[in-house]
Amino acid sequence: MGLPLFSVGDDPGPSFLKYVADSGLVDESLYSANDSAHATTVVALRYANGVVLVGDRQATSSYIASRDVRKIEAADRFTAIAISGSAARGMEFIRMAQLSFEHYEKMTGTALSLEGKANYLSPMIQRNNLTTPLLVLPMLAGWDTNHLVGRVFEYDGAGGCYEREDFVAIGSGSPFAEGALRLGFRENMTRDEAIELAALSVYEAGDNDPSTGGPDFVRGLYPIIVVVDESGFSELPVDDVAQTFNAINERRTQQRGRAGSTLR
Amino acid sequence: MSMPFYVSPEQLIKDRAEFAQKGIARGRSIIAAIYDPGVVLVAENPSASLNKISEVYDRIAFAGVGKYNEFDRLREAGIRWADGTGYTYAREDVDARALANYYAQHVGDMFTEGQKPLEIEILVAQLANKVRPTKLYRIAYEGTISDEQMFAVLGGEAETIKERFAASETKILNLKDTLKNAVNALAGPDRTIPAGDLEVALLEDRGQRRTFVRLSDDEVTALLG
Repeated sequence: MGLPLFSVGDDPGPSFLKYVADSGLVDESLYSANDSAHATTVVALRYANGVVLVGDRQATSSYIASRDVRKIEAADRFTAIAISGSAARGMEFIRMAQLSFEHYEKMTGTALSLEGKANYLSPMIQRNNLTTPLLVLPMLAGWDTNHLVGRVFEYDGAGGCYEREDFVAIGSGSPFAEGALRLGFRENMTRDEAIELAALSVYEAGDNDPSTGGPDFVRGLYPIIVVVDESGFSELPVDDVAQTFNAINERRTQQRGRAGSTLR
Repeated sequence: MSMPFYVSPEQLIKDRAEFAQKGIARGRSIIAAIYDPGVVLVAENPSASLNKISEVYDRIAFAGVGKYNEFDRLREAGIRWADGTGYTYAREDVDARALANYYAQHVGDMFTEGQKPLEIEILVAQLANKVRPTKLYRIAYEGTISDEQMFAVLGGEAETIKERFAASETKILNLKDTLKNAVNALAGPDRTIPAGDLEVALLEDRGQRRTFVRLSDDEVTALLG
């Protein structure tokens, strides 16, 4: 690849997506549907000082394809991106988003706004979902450095971008996660309350949805817990995550798995 | 019928070189220097938004003097090249030497074949990692690429500034001393440059993937104080 110079009329500007499409680095016609592993259940919720995300680790085809997939990644310092749907396309999706935000920042000398990042994903989803049978549905959550609040965004299959006031749940386990979130959500929760509720909702999803992996005490693999606040993206250490899920599991064990347990 | 003028190749190159040098001499200079443990880039630039120094990749920075629109276009092409290469292969495959060579080819082509030569000088700086050394590649208006040791000076007064800087910077120093020497060399004996007219950026390991960082006026003042 030589030096990518463009005439003024053909210049792709700061959009990495447009640049790779124009220069032929990505060829969309090559995608096929042979790989069907899919990733499921990530939740994001707002609390008083930011957002909390929890995502399970399982990739599922007709069997469990992987138990330690990372479905939440830092798109940049203040933004988390998470995926559900095709694992293969989802990983690529995350990579493209990460690169695009950094590319824009370097090209223009300023970082995109959180809303700008959220909108940027729309055509990516649209393009992916209309050209391949490998559906990807992401979510975006982060700390808005312009307005100093945590914000969460979800998308539909055609690329529509919707901001939520409270929480977002994606993936096949999302109906179960959403049930717990709806009942447990309060305005202006503390960080710890938000972590506990989000973890519980993914626990519920793992309990009910065959494609969602709950905490794996045997292998020591737990869902990923991420907090994004004014100091940026941070992932909870595995010991804290283990403790959170152990506490939930303990309560469930005392109930012998029957309904009627407390939310917290 | 008019006869076409004959211009000897020597004369043509000389004219073009003079033209480019004149354009470059109009702007202020830049010093890039290796310090312990990083690379500092210092430009005299009264504008806080039209930058002469920029991040290209995790461990690569760009600096340009001369016509802003001309070197900015190369800066953008460099970022595209780096992000595209890192996307196609891996982040560690993005090498400043390859980028410097592409720049040199393009600038050289413009010098001999373009409507007019580019009135710019550019620099590609790379911070060392496990597999690559710290490097300062300077690309002149006619496409000459040079691998500079310890420090590089770009711009019209490069020779004078180079002498001044070399006199004070005899070995690799810490950031504070290197920055002081660079600013004094840019200013010369008869004037001082206020922190607000300096653009300073570093490539330095801070435990993060991206090593490029701009210093604010306050940070520069503190270092120079």
